[in-house]
Amino acid sequence: MSFGWLIWHNVWSKKVRSALTATAVAIGVMTVVVLGVVTDSLRTTAAGVLRVGAADFTVSQKGVNDILESALTEPLLDKVSHVEGVKSAIGVLLDTEKLDDAHPLVVEVGIKPEHLKPFGVQIADGRAFGATAENEVMVGIHLAQDLGLRAGDTVNVTGRKMTVVGVFNTGNTFGDSTIMFPLAPFQAYERQPGGLSLFFVKIDPGAKVAKVKTAVEDSSPLLVAISSLMEFGRADRSYQLITAADHAATVVAIAVGAIFVMNAMVLSLVERYREFGILRAIGWSRRRLIALVFGEAMIIAFVGAALGVGLGFVAIEVLQELPSLKGILKPTLESWVFGRALLTAVLVTALGALYPALRAAQLSPQEAMRRE
Amino acid sequence: MSSARTSTNQGESGVAISVEGVTKTFDGGMVKALDNLSLAIDAGEYVSVTGPSGCGKSTLMHLLAGLDRADSGRLEVSGEDLMRMRDPNGFRRNRVGLVFQMHNLLPHLDAKSNVMVPMLGTQRSRRERSARADELLEQVGLAEFAHRRPPQMSGGERQRVAIARALANDPAVLFADEPTGSLDSRSVERVLELIEELRKQRPVTIVMVTHDKAVANTADRIIYMVDGRVVDQPVGL
Ligand SMILES: Nc1ncnc2c1ncn2[C@@H]1O[C@H](COP(=O)(O)OP(=O)(O)OP(=O)(O)O)[C@@H](O)[C@H]1O
Ligand SMILES: [Mg+2]
Repeated sequence: MSFGWLIWHNVWSKKVRSALTATAVAIGVMTVVVLGVVTDSLRTTAAGVLRVGAADFTVSQKGVNDILESALTEPLLDKVSHVEGVKSAIGVLLDTEKLDDAHPLVVEVGIKPEHLKPFGVQIADGRAFGATAENEVMVGIHLAQDLGLRAGDTVNVTGRKMTVVGVFNTGNTFGDSTIMFPLAPFQAYERQPGGLSLFFVKIDPGAKVAKVKTAVEDSSPLLVAISSLMEFGRADRSYQLITAADHAATVVAIAVGAIFVMNAMVLSLVERYREFGILRAIGWSRRRLIALVFGEAMIIAFVGAALGVGLGFVAIEVLQELPSLKGILKPTLESWVFGRALLTAVLVTALGALYPALRAAQLSPQEAMRRE
Repeated sequence: MSSARTSTNQGESGVAISVEGVTKTFDGGMVKALDNLSLAIDAGEYVSVTGPSGCGKSTLMHLLAGLDRADSGRLEVSGEDLMRMRDPNGFRRNRVGLVFQMHNLLPHLDAKSNVMVPMLGTQRSRRERSARADELLEQVGLAEFAHRRPPQMSGGERQRVAIARALANDPAVLFADEPTGSLDSRSVERVLELIEELRKQRPVTIVMVTHDKAVANTADRIIYMVDGRVVDQPVGL
């Protein structure tokens, strides 16, 4: 027998108690996972476009609520292209459209065919559209698979029957769920001749991203340069709100989970007075007793984390079926979900175990032995 | 069972336990559990402590075992001054062994694990701990009970496991508070035989609280207590 074995044995031999505590942890973890996936889906929907263009940074209109509402112009693009340190700048026009119930928010990208390659677009099937072809579109491979489309098929978008001339791959789930149009006809359709949404900027070799970004922002008061998803909030207020709501709800979920765990552990403490009293009486130090309680709590945390992630994904599957959320949630099993789940579980359990552990350590052994 | 017996451990000499003018009160002085109590016990001696309920026997045990502190007076156990003890946990773990009337063992651990628990904080390796536990269970005659949990054992068997655990770290003194209090006569006899056996094997000082006159009489000496003091004559017995 070892200390670690004893910790494990204590958890295992009190299955019901441990399971109840782990469930409390799991509920907290599930809440945080669901919140995370929901807000991340909303965020990626808005910000994913930033990840698509193979660029050093993106330029958007300052102070818009939604990055998709950013309104820039070709003269501004020209200006940015000539800022020192800028190697190339690609302008795209964005819009969204509801294709069907399962695809309520498909992002449409207007882009010049010669910019496809520098933008990171690879043709998987078919060919690129012509620069002025009014009836030609390309569909991202992810969306194409979803809709069962191949090069040569037709699709109803922007109110017309369009020919899918090619299926493309960007190496990014968001990008692969978009539809691309030749820029000029798309601008005409959107009634924004010369209008653009975002610029994707590549810098000269040797230039510093931060420096070039500042230079771009200095070139016009309308512009904001974003080089990471984190910075997205500078351009997009709804992103800021989503993030704030996520943080607040996470704190609440952790607090609620911790209270449940504490409750379960304090209850079990009462039945464990004698056990702790015996351990103290035969020479266990307070520190060792706290380590025992915390060790048990951490095993429960790991079980709770695993259970919580599972429950979270079940919950997301269910939520996805709600008409208002259909097609918006993307339950991707990304590693941050597990990291966040584990962190939540450890936080919830550590907070919940703190008071019971200290109480156990405070217990005087002869007092514990006296209790009937 | 003879009551007239002197220390069997001739090699071990000197005082194992010395208590001088110890007072212990509870509830802010309302209850005087020990009242200016003094006593001395030699190394290797087997002493029983007896007296009416509430006279302070358990309180005295707890003080001697380092579970609680006296209000005033002097206590020394195997060379350790309990009034200014640096490491009470180490003292309890290594210098003394404790057996209570009941609820001694951790109910969810088997006998062997229970015996190993006090060895967890020590230098012994896992292998040594296991070997030591086997050896002790063998000594208390419960080798084949190693993997039984307390609910699957009789009261007497549980007390023998408790004694094995108390001896795990080779303490100088073994304290037992009514170890036979809840046992039938057959089990009492086996525990007493075991104590006798142990004394033959190692120079351990034993202090045992008991209500039972016959049990008390197996000791080298009987200490009578009344109202938190040691008295010469048995009172009310
Ligand atoms: N923790 C405590 N708080 C308050 N009073 C206590 C406490 N411990 C002991 N006492 C009181 O101190 C006195 C001595 O108690 P103790 O348990 O030492 O008696 P005892 O001789 O062991 O009795 P018994 O034979 O019934 O076990 C009793 O009056 C008891 O009520
Ligand atoms: Mg008592």
